[in-house]
Amino acid sequence: MELTRRDAVTALTAAGITTTAGCAGLTGETGSDAEPMEVLVSLADVLYPSDIEPTPEFIETFMYGRITDEESYREELTAGIETLNQLAADEQGGAFHTLSADQRRSVIENTDLRTGPSEPDGSDVARVNYYLLDELLFAFYSSPTGGELIGNTNPRGFPGGFGYSPSLEQ
Amino acid sequence: MTTNQSATADRTPVDSPDVCVVGAGPAGALLSHSLANRGHDVVILEAGPRFDKESRVDRMKRQIHPDRGVDEIWDMGGERDEYTNSSERPMPLNKRRVKGVGGTSLHWASVVPRFRERDFEMQNRHGVGKDWPISYADLQPYYAEAEQEIGVAGPDEAPHQPPREQGYPMDPLPTSYADKLFTKAADALGYDVQPMPMAINTGAYDRDECQGYGTCEHVCPSGGKYSADIHVEKAEAEGAKVLTEVPVQRFEHGPDGEEITAAVYATPDGETRRQEADVFVAAAGAYETPRLLLLSASDQYPNGLANSSGTVGKYVMDHGGALVIGFLPDQETHSAEYGPVISSGIQQFYDDDEDPIGGINMMLLNQAESPLAQMAMESNALGDDLLAELKRQYGGTIGASTSAEMLPREDNTITLDESKTDNHGNPVLDIDITPGQYVRDASAKAADVTTELVEEMGGRIAFEQGSHTPNADYIEPEQYGYHPMGGTRMGEDPSESVVDPTLKTHDLDNLYISGGGVFVTGGAANPTLTIMALSLKAADHIHEELQS
Repeated sequence: MELTRRDAVTALTAAGITTTAGCAGLTGETGSDAEPMEVLVSLADVLYPSDIEPTPEFIETFMYGRITDEESYREELTAGIETLNQLAADEQGGAFHTLSADQRRSVIENTDLRTGPSEPDGSDVARVNYYLLDELLFAFYSSPTGGELIGNTNPRGFPGGFGYSPSLEQ
Repeated sequence: MTTNQSATADRTPVDSPDVCVVGAGPAGALLSHSLANRGHDVVILEAGPRFDKESRVDRMKRQIHPDRGVDEIWDMGGERDEYTNSSERPMPLNKRRVKGVGGTSLHWASVVPRFRERDFEMQNRHGVGKDWPISYADLQPYYAEAEQEIGVAGPDEAPHQPPREQGYPMDPLPTSYADKLFTKAADALGYDVQPMPMAINTGAYDRDECQGYGTCEHVCPSGGKYSADIHVEKAEAEGAKVLTEVPVQRFEHGPDGEEITAAVYATPDGETRRQEADVFVAAAGAYETPRLLLLSASDQYPNGLANSSGTVGKYVMDHGGALVIGFLPDQETHSAEYGPVISSGIQQFYDDDEDPIGGINMMLLNQAESPLAQMAMESNALGDDLLAELKRQYGGTIGASTSAEMLPREDNTITLDESKTDNHGNPVLDIDITPGQYVRDASAKAADVTTELVEEMGGRIAFEQGSHTPNADYIEPEQYGYHPMGGTRMGEDPSESVVDPTLKTHDLDNLYISGGGVFVTGGAANPTLTIMALSLKAADHIHEELQS
């Protein structure tokens, strides 16, 4: 399943959240000849279920659509990608986005990514957890697409309208 | 990433205003608007900032993040908000209150039932507590006015609610799936499920409608939930001036000790300024208002201002809680799909004249588990393993949260802790509150009824507050402090109360108190609507006084 904007743009806009059109935060040097979006997609690919194919559009909509201070985020993103690439180089000998899915998974499993602290002002790895991994997980599991996989098309954190109430199952 | 608009704000005292209000939360906002709307010059002194509305999305994400505390959502904590808890039980005050324009209504769940007639006359009816000097009928028109002002969606006719003079401004919220499950079980057991009055805009009011974020407690990014910053802004539109990040350090009185002459406040750049006014209103919340009065001690009033009765900081109350969460195996509960946290309740045990006497206000939850995204972030799993884990963990929950009545007791207190100071060197408040058997009995009854309902649905109890302690921030074992009341109670007799029925202090001719602190008994209904109604009543009295 390819993730798209679906009806999210409408929903987010209705809630007063402006989605980013061009995502200025996602361009620029990363130190590894990759656009930040490429790295985010390669990370999302490991975090999200295998049936899901993360797209830049999805990340722009559901993640960047809910980032209110892009300038600060861009700094964290740049620093985070550098940390991620360092971990990837140490573990697998290459920049994160150039690795295979198994290698990327291995980088996460063999470091403090996921298992370590996730803090906005913590260590380099703790900040990667907070600003990259957790942002991507928030984006997916508070979207209708992620929620639907668990049977909830309006998960908490998503402005999907109110009052959803199906008939009582007998 | 979360900024506020206060950095360059003007903090110069206003020249000769009619009224100075300390606190920009619900107790100060409606009152200020009511007075400004009638042409009075009003200045509001607020200890916290004015939060950017755009920051609410970030705050909502903080709420969902598993490693961020509730106190972090609205920037509470640190030296500014230090306090001491001498109670035996945890009282995480900074997870319960917000300092800023809008006050604690920024993170409330917006549940707004009225108090019941019996709440004003518990001594007369049941021989417990103390009767208020005003009745439900006295407050009824102000309840109606408050509901119109903030926009309440509620049931015009419901089996268990106090008399109404007119319909609610908006129809009740739609019936949620959890409401339907509860209603079916309640019908079988002879209980009544009824819509809960909620301050959520379903379209009739001039603010965004509810968008169904499902995070109203503690952040509503859309603004569909009422918060008191709305009336602060309305007051400003009528000419009121708001000074932010100016915590009031003390009140000063004149040489005869009969009137307040100034509210002395601190500014972020270290200056101390004096705001003069004809009338002062202490609306800093039931935790900080007694502290402010005690900090304002003078040679003439060594025990603190408005404290000739010695009751400032006494008869402090809270509500008891009974959070019960059930699990329905193999059943869908559609947890959190609906949006608002609460839409219905069970009120028949509030005023049934049966034991336990203590009021019981049962709120049926539309989301009884962590947000999906929070579970995902909390896990260490990846990809398909994570999805499988979430599928196992998520869903099938149902729950209810109850507010239960606690009796006023002289030895439940807010005092000053002289051994600890805030960022301005002022002694912090020290809360010491013990729930008695009365509130425990009411809480236990609510837990029993919820258990009965869950079992009738075919479920089993997964969590009962206090008996288990899951490692989830939103479930806390027997922690309280949500509904502070008392401490500056109302009464006719100056020897045993702080304010009179107009909410003016007995001791000082131009000092009023607005807030839950003036409650004589605590009922079981969420207190904010009653705080608002009382504030509108006080505004009328202040208006009359200024006119004369």
